Amino acid sequence: MIESVVKLIVPIFSLAIVMYLVRAVKGPTIPDIVLAIDCIGYDLAAFMGILSLYFKSPYLISGAIVLALWSYLLDIYVSRYLLREVRV
Amino acid sequence: MILLYIGAALMIIGALCDLLAGIGMLRFKNFYLRLHAATVGTVGGAVVPLIGVALAALDMPSLPGRFAIAGASFITALIILLVAPAGSTALAYAAHRSGVEGNFHFDHLRGEEK
Repeated sequence: MIESVVKLIVPIFSLAIVMYLVRAVKGPTIPDIVLAIDCIGYDLAAFMGILSLYFKSPYLISGAIVLALWSYLLDIYVSRYLLREVRV
Repeated sequence: MILLYIGAALMIIGALCDLLAGIGMLRFKNFYLRLHAATVGTVGGAVVPLIGVALAALDMPSLPGRFAIAGASFITALIILLVAPAGSTALAYAAHRSGVEGNFHFDHLRGEEK
């Protein structure tokens, strides 16, 4: 049962990631690009969870925590960089 | 058996939220409107399917390491639920301070009315 659900879900996730990628390529400002890459990171974390359920392997889920924290780190670094650029 | 169906339903809801967030990220006009789509994409599209993965992995006895998958995906969902609004808030504040345009009626953060 879970295999058919995963086969239904994977094209929808891939289409959403392609849409985020279009916004990340053509985004007019820097926060647009960072927001799109941020959403790609969180979606890849969820996608790795679903794939670990599909391939029956517990090793795939261990990268999801690191991926979520990496997206948060990207947000904080870029926002600090933008604020410092204003204050100087 | 009921947990497997609840988990599959949560995964399908998460995929639909993700599709809506992708359409919104393409179609909205400026950065502050795309922030709404990003919120739908993170909380609806990443937290909900990870909780679904945790519930579905608890109910599959033939899965090797199912408690590891369930615990790690639940903790990842909790981390994303705590961390994504904080990052979005910091990014929106920095974008407003660095002069990203938006069609506001009132701009209370700058202290003036347009």
